[in-house]
Amino acid sequence: MIELVAIAEGTLAPEAPVRAVPFDGLAVLCAPAAEGEADAETLWRREALLEALMEQGTLLPVRYGTVVADEAAAVEAVSEHRDAFARALAWVRGAVELSVRAVGPAEAAPEAARVHATLAVLARDAVRLGGDEQLNGAYLVERGAVDDFVAAVGRLQREHRALSILCTGPWPPYSFTEAG
Amino acid sequence: MSEGAVAQREVALVDLVDRLLGGGVVIAGEITLAVADVDLVHVSLRALVSSVDTAQRKRSPGTDESP
Repeated sequence: MIELVAIAEGTLAPEAPVRAVPFDGLAVLCAPAAEGEADAETLWRREALLEALMEQGTLLPVRYGTVVADEAAAVEAVSEHRDAFARALAWVRGAVELSVRAVGPAEAAPEAARVHATLAVLARDAVRLGGDEQLNGAYLVERGAVDDFVAAVGRLQREHRALSILCTGPWPPYSFTEAG
Repeated sequence: MSEGAVAQREVALVDLVDRLLGGGVVIAGEITLAVADVDLVHVSLRALVSSVDTAQRKRSPGTDESP
């Protein structure tokens, strides 16, 4: 059994045990399927692998735990969506994902909406994910604009004291795997 | 590592779990990996984010909550 790790540009050449299996100009990056239950360390290792692969080229992470029988099955699973993957890869090229959460009282919801609107202007794409927080946002930011984005988060925290704003990243583009 | 840095790493774990298990390309295929332990981590870290919120409000002026 092998696990699908990411969809990538065809030029990406990973190190063993990860293999780039080509399909129609793109590649599906595969690794031997892990055995046993995942824990936090397993997930951090996957994150580290994706970050290392991102240094070589543009990729779309695949949902953790997607396992198929062999490389032929992997290609069969991804081929029908080839054009959508190509569009999404073009959309995220040169950018990273940043997460911004804001927690606070219910009456601070309008402030959280303003925080999201302000940050969305600084991003190539932005999405509000679900959750219990007043804001759980993902922002696709140009690599060169990350520092400016983080500085803007700092300013917003000073302006919105009712909220506690938490920013993490840069992440691979987990939340932007479909072209906007 | 300072208390704040630990909290940051744990908050980052919430983001990581959300992304690896809830984001990414979804492909119709056999999904066999067990992630039961991670769900527990997830729940406990949701609680941590809530406690960050509580701590912030306790520090803000004009409140007289006892520690």
